[in-house]
Amino acid sequence: MRPLDWVVLVGSLASIIAYGLYRGRGSNTVDRYLLAGKSMPWYAMALSIMATQASAITFISTTGQAYVDGMRFVQFYFGMPLAMVALSATAVPIFHRAKVYTAYEYLENRFDAKTRALASVIFLMQRGLSVGLTFYAPAIVLSIIFGWPDRLTTLIIGITVVLYTVTGGIRTVTWTDVQQMLIILFGLVVALVMIVLLLPRQVSFLDAMHLAGSAGKLNAVNFHFDWNDRYNVWSGLIGGMFLALSYFGCDQSQVQRYLTGKSIAQSKLSLLFTAVAKIPMQFFILFIGAMVFVFYIFEPPPLVFQRVEYNRIQQPELRARYEPIADRYQDAFTRRKAAALEIVAARHAGDARAESGAIASYRRAQQDLDAARRQGASLVEATGREKGFRDTNYIFLSFVTRYLPAGIVGLLIAVILAATMSSSSGEINSLATVSVVDIYKRHFRKQASDHHYLTASRVATAFWGAYAVAFAGLGKHLGSLIEAVNIVGSLFYGSLLGVFVLAFFFKRVSGTGAFVGMLAGEAAIFAAFLFTGISFLWYNVIGCLVVIATGMAVSFVSPAASATPDTAG
Amino acid sequence: MPSGPREMPDEPPPFLGAWRRVYTAVVVYLALLIALCYAFTRAFS
Repeated sequence: MRPLDWVVLVGSLASIIAYGLYRGRGSNTVDRYLLAGKSMPWYAMALSIMATQASAITFISTTGQAYVDGMRFVQFYFGMPLAMVALSATAVPIFHRAKVYTAYEYLENRFDAKTRALASVIFLMQRGLSVGLTFYAPAIVLSIIFGWPDRLTTLIIGITVVLYTVTGGIRTVTWTDVQQMLIILFGLVVALVMIVLLLPRQVSFLDAMHLAGSAGKLNAVNFHFDWNDRYNVWSGLIGGMFLALSYFGCDQSQVQRYLTGKSIAQSKLSLLFTAVAKIPMQFFILFIGAMVFVFYIFEPPPLVFQRVEYNRIQQPELRARYEPIADRYQDAFTRRKAAALEIVAARHAGDARAESGAIASYRRAQQDLDAARRQGASLVEATGREKGFRDTNYIFLSFVTRYLPAGIVGLLIAVILAATMSSSSGEINSLATVSVVDIYKRHFRKQASDHHYLTASRVATAFWGAYAVAFAGLGKHLGSLIEAVNIVGSLFYGSLLGVFVLAFFFKRVSGTGAFVGMLAGEAAIFAAFLFTGISFLWYNVIGCLVVIATGMAVSFVSPAASATPDTAG
Repeated sequence: MPSGPREMPDEPPPFLGAWRRVYTAVVVYLALLIALCYAFTRAFS
């Protein structure tokens, strides 16, 4: 980091936090602290929803995912607009009219206290696990740049986020999210422009796209159905829709955003704006990863992007095993670069036959390069302590710190830290809300002053911040963080979604039916996770359907317990 | 702590006149995006 990078980094983050604290002043009642006094405009909620969802993991891991696996991950988001439409038509008006602080509070209105408690605990488990991962991603950034230990960097970021979240509540969280999202969007555009400018002069933007496509990196859509294929149109539309329904309809970290709306219409607009903007944004981030791949066609990429491990396998005692792999890697890189330049020359000359031959050589070289990279990863695994080694999360950062000019590095580090802060502050805020409203107030201290619950909310916020910092190190063992976060979510979301579907649409289902249904749903999801190869996106579908079927069956065999106290609105 | 935040009014959307039309527009937009992504994949594969 050069002085200009520090100026940009510190200036960006300080201005975000200062502005958020300024907008969050006066959050001195529980209503204002947890729901911003229902005063937020739709655009602030929409940007906050997007910022909460776009964590540092999005930039670090998604770009690396595109480098390794191409752009097919974008299909994961295809179900989101359908989910947003469904939620705008159902959940948003229901939650608003129920006048609740949390989504789970509604479940007690509709079913009973035990169903609300179980849903709250499932949320706390799921989101509690994920928030640690959110903190871990930027620790990667700072450990690469400064060589600081993960624990220290996690602690610094954690203290910063907790301080402003505890102080200003959701109003500060939302307005800092808005600032952070604008910086994120600006940083993304700058990153893409810089990558294209760094390509060799004879390689145009269109050539770069053809090179990425010829290596299978622009594989945005696949219509072939396969249960075990993580990303295709069908898993994205169906599984992704269920995941988005769960995330935006049942996860308090998102529900709390649109509960702050001035009106039902403003809340609906915030969700629909997110539906419209999310797929292009993810496409853009993945495209940046694909362009980083093209950049490394002409600049030699390291065999292993994780610098510490890369340095370790080059030590004299491992040299005999490292050098043959490095030689193969270098040879494949040289052949791939030559073939890529032939493709570009053939394209410019309009020689389709030469282009076709060059593409065949290019793909063979790419396969050899991938094989050498796998051998490098195997060497890291065999000689180190890290099992299941993957360097996906380090690819983009390695590129940023090695090749981008002063100022831009600071900006992109600010983007990654801003994304972390926006996600984690929202998550911590929602965890604190559920802890206080659904657990503490409901089961331990039913009658107390507003000031008491405000203090309890601040204490809970600080607790969850400390918890997240303590568990951040788990991310080290989980490979691609973007997948890890979504897999963790999918283990719990299906049953949450199922119980809300029962609440909204099945008036004859009882509280006991819903409660047993959730337990059965969780059992089915964990069975699928542990004993089958079914892709995680389908867990949400499976869990939801099992909850509905079990809830209906239990309510049918014990009709005396059935209840219909509320309506679907 | 009050029993719940105050009730909020619903309103028509600021464009297209009815929420049903806004929802339809979002679904059509999704279909268009998938078609564009498919064309993109085919063009550069």
